[in-house]
Amino acid sequence: MAQPLVKKDDDRDDEAEYSPFLGIEKGAVLQEARVFNDPQLDPRRCSQVITKLLYLLNQGDSFTKVEATEVFFSVTKLFQSKDLGLRRMVYLIIKELSPSADEVIIVTSSLMKDMNSKTDMYRANAIRVLCRITDGTLLTQIERYLKQAIVDKNPVVASAALVSGIHLLQTNPEIVKRWSNEVQEAVQSRAALVQFHALALLQQIRQNDRLAVSKLVTSLTRGTVRSPLAQCLLIRYTSQVIRESNTQTGDRPFYDFLESCLRHKAEMVIFEAARAITELSGVTSRELTPAITVLQLFLSSSKPVLRFAAVRTLNKVALTHPMAVTNCNIDMESLISDQNRSIATLAITTLLKTGNESSVDRLMKQITNFMSDIADEFKIVVVEAIRSLCLKFPLKYRSLMNFLSNILREEGGFEYKKAIVDSIVILIRDIPEAKESGLLHLCEFIEDCEFTYLSTQILHFLGIEGPKTTDPSKYIRYIYNRVHLENATVRAASVSTLAKFGAMVDALKPRIFVLLRRCIFDSDDEVRDRATLYLNTLGGDGEVVETDKDVKIFLFGDLDIPLVNLETSLKNYEPSEEPFDIDSVPKEVKSQPLVEKKAPGKKPAGLGAPPAGPPSTVDAYERLLSSIPEFSNFGKLFKSSSPVELTEAETEYAVNVVKHIFDRHVVFQYNCINTIPEQLLENVSVIVDASEAEDFTEVTSKPVRSLPYDTPGQTFVAFEKPDGITAVGKFSNMLRFIVKEVDPSTGEAEEDGVEDEYQLEDLEVVAADYMMKVGVSNFRNAWESMGEDFERVDEYGLGPRESLAEAVSAVINLLGMQPCEGTEAVATNSRSHTCLLSGVFLGNVRVLVRLQFGIEGSRDVAMKLAVRSEDEAVGDAIHEIVSCS
Amino acid sequence: MILAVLFANVEGNILIERVELEHCCRFSGVPAEERLHWRSFLVKLGADNLKGVRNEELLVASHKSVYIVYTVLGDVSIFIVGKDEYDELALAEVIFAITSALKDVCGKPPTERLFLDKYGKICLCLDEIVWKGLLENTDKERVRRLTRLKPPTEF
Repeated sequence: MAQPLVKKDDDRDDEAEYSPFLGIEKGAVLQEARVFNDPQLDPRRCSQVITKLLYLLNQGDSFTKVEATEVFFSVTKLFQSKDLGLRRMVYLIIKELSPSADEVIIVTSSLMKDMNSKTDMYRANAIRVLCRITDGTLLTQIERYLKQAIVDKNPVVASAALVSGIHLLQTNPEIVKRWSNEVQEAVQSRAALVQFHALALLQQIRQNDRLAVSKLVTSLTRGTVRSPLAQCLLIRYTSQVIRESNTQTGDRPFYDFLESCLRHKAEMVIFEAARAITELSGVTSRELTPAITVLQLFLSSSKPVLRFAAVRTLNKVALTHPMAVTNCNIDMESLISDQNRSIATLAITTLLKTGNESSVDRLMKQITNFMSDIADEFKIVVVEAIRSLCLKFPLKYRSLMNFLSNILREEGGFEYKKAIVDSIVILIRDIPEAKESGLLHLCEFIEDCEFTYLSTQILHFLGIEGPKTTDPSKYIRYIYNRVHLENATVRAASVSTLAKFGAMVDALKPRIFVLLRRCIFDSDDEVRDRATLYLNTLGGDGEVVETDKDVKIFLFGDLDIPLVNLETSLKNYEPSEEPFDIDSVPKEVKSQPLVEKKAPGKKPAGLGAPPAGPPSTVDAYERLLSSIPEFSNFGKLFKSSSPVELTEAETEYAVNVVKHIFDRHVVFQYNCINTIPEQLLENVSVIVDASEAEDFTEVTSKPVRSLPYDTPGQTFVAFEKPDGITAVGKFSNMLRFIVKEVDPSTGEAEEDGVEDEYQLEDLEVVAADYMMKVGVSNFRNAWESMGEDFERVDEYGLGPRESLAEAVSAVINLLGMQPCEGTEAVATNSRSHTCLLSGVFLGNVRVLVRLQFGIEGSRDVAMKLAVRSEDEAVGDAIHEIVSCS
Repeated sequence: MILAVLFANVEGNILIERVELEHCCRFSGVPAEERLHWRSFLVKLGADNLKGVRNEELLVASHKSVYIVYTVLGDVSIFIVGKDEYDELALAEVIFAITSALKDVCGKPPTERLFLDKYGKICLCLDEIVWKGLLENTDKERVRRLTRLKPPTEF
């Protein structure tokens, strides 16, 4: 491997090829810089010294404050020279030295002079240097010149001023915003780059003014745009306007413009347009087709950059519209052998998303060859894609699980192994058939696992899942081997796992006791302590009795105390006669991890970033709710919705709500954040008006006592509803609180506060809230085994719809059920479609739904809905949901 | 934003490293070890992929949500790192501007020695092409004139 940090001066002794910087040394160069002070300047010599200084800076040498100041002062003397080449170097070195604020003043006058010079190039460069080193006060002095420069007839001067404007907008927005008339004029410039820079600046100045941006886009899409770069910007702004216009019906504004850009001569523009189209919200297959077609052509381009761009875009499309990308599968398969690994990985993960059940085996064969020669970070991406593929086609678990276990045995770093283990664990949880083989793969892995963290995680998981299998005894050997061969952490984890087997499987108990007793003599105290503890709690003193419920809870139950609270209590505990009482630890969760705020105006960043998986917050919610006494008699939590934003992004208070559904109650959990540092909110509650939700009666609410800046807090409101009815309705919400001013210097709040209110958006409880998305691995089997006793079939006319796909997704969303076997995707141009759904309805009743759709020429969609469930009433309820909406 | 422009010789030694975000000195404010990680990532990327590549053939990669377009010209490999609007296509434009200017300055695909001889000129070209993370000039004629403080010919 090359050594990137080795300086150029200590290699190469070949005389002919020696470096001009051979033996360069900072001290000597600083000495040489004294030539800048000569009364008779030698421009050539000075330029050479500046080059050496640049070389040192580029090599990562840093100058001390004193050195930098000295060099800077000498450099300023060079303004006396009229030599053009030297002057250009002076501008560059001043920027590189970035003088401190108190030194800037020395060059300001020289630069100001250059800025008004008759030589255009002096002006342009002086602007760039001044804007780089200036601060706000100086900026007001030169603002007048900058405004003139923006409309200067020399494009270099105009560009210099515009690009400076883009940078200054970050630090002095109020000043730059005053230039919008000049910038507007520059947008019309005939010079291509001026237009490009002006467009970028103008959009940034006006980005918060939707109307202005919309006008800008409208005028430019009709006018002439002179460079591909500017055209790309225009496309980007156009899609922003489309996003914000939110028109649901009729033709999408500007779509024709985007579509016409697909035929532009510059590849950059074509790609930008194709991406903009694929990212349109609710894009239809008709709109997608032209974009996919051009991308497909680029897949076989000879230029890697174009192939990469195409496959990257298609990879994103495959996340949302897998069927639209299937046409490109053949081209994509040939990319698996692409020399560029980034392209190959993207192609594979795209294929994994778009492939159908029959192509899985072939694909896996190709991937196996490919895996051996890519880096870990790419392998992780592939593993994650395989995990989701397996969840999509559960019947294929055997070959996919085998693949995972094979790669688990190969060399790899921690992150990679963790991704594989996580995937196997998820597959075991979600596909019951895969459990036994998956557990055995994990057992084999810990026999030779170098990562303590993974070993302990797997042992813990084995303890929970192993005893529930048909033959738990076969795992014991693997677990007990760890007690002999591993470090103390893993040994302790093995002891706990053994104890769990003992507690759950009575037949194994005597043998487990023997093993645990051996652990009493372990060299590590934690291992000994655990063994002793479990022997006592399980009754290992000889008698084999059935394990107590309490013991099982002790072994398997979650620690229902937040660790932070436990830590605080332990720290506060002073050693005394009185033992530490775990019941004294408060159970209330003080703050919850923030849900990611949605930002509708922003484009999703990042490449190939995996979609955020479903958060495993259900347990956390359940624990949180059960710790609140007011809700303790509501029974078992059926479902918690994902958070719904009740405020726009970047408002004073950010509030979202989670709907918790119980049999006879609904609890709204409002997660609030105060984003104003100068305020402290107290007694924060949400006043809910349920006049449009007749079936609901408010029973209790629980305010947050104090909500300091940037610390999330939760307030709750609970409603009662009739048992077994899928009550729906609309709730309007008002945040009420007492606001106290906070002194920013001390952080202390004032004594007195003022009561205030803040209007939040409305919230709806819909039928889908009573349905849990739970998939089945084989729909047909499940459907047959459910029987037709409680089958309810009916037909519905859905009226004219935009497309079949749109109708299908509307019904899926309405019912809130899990689509099975990839049937949520509708093939382009198909006239009929069958969609299979599965879910669990309130009261833990399994429901299966078969939807058959047909579309006529007039776009009228008809639907046949067949429901099978364990409870007749639930079948009726499903039909009622559909017929009422 | 163009995050960085890096020139390295065949052995992977850094010739020029320009990092474009000024408040956060070097590689967008990342701490030194992360910067080293980046450097060695780029150099390794070059070592793995640039063998046998023709002059100016563009290669592309992505790493942690940024894009990297890189190529080789004579004895010098050139890497450009960008994110957001500077995606692989925009970076291809930037690298094209850089390679054309480089050929213009050196008169041919440079040896390492030639590159170092023209070091000052090359720094000036870079200064004209990329300025604080934004693409400023693309045309080599224009860049050449600008580095000599001559006004561009066309306007």
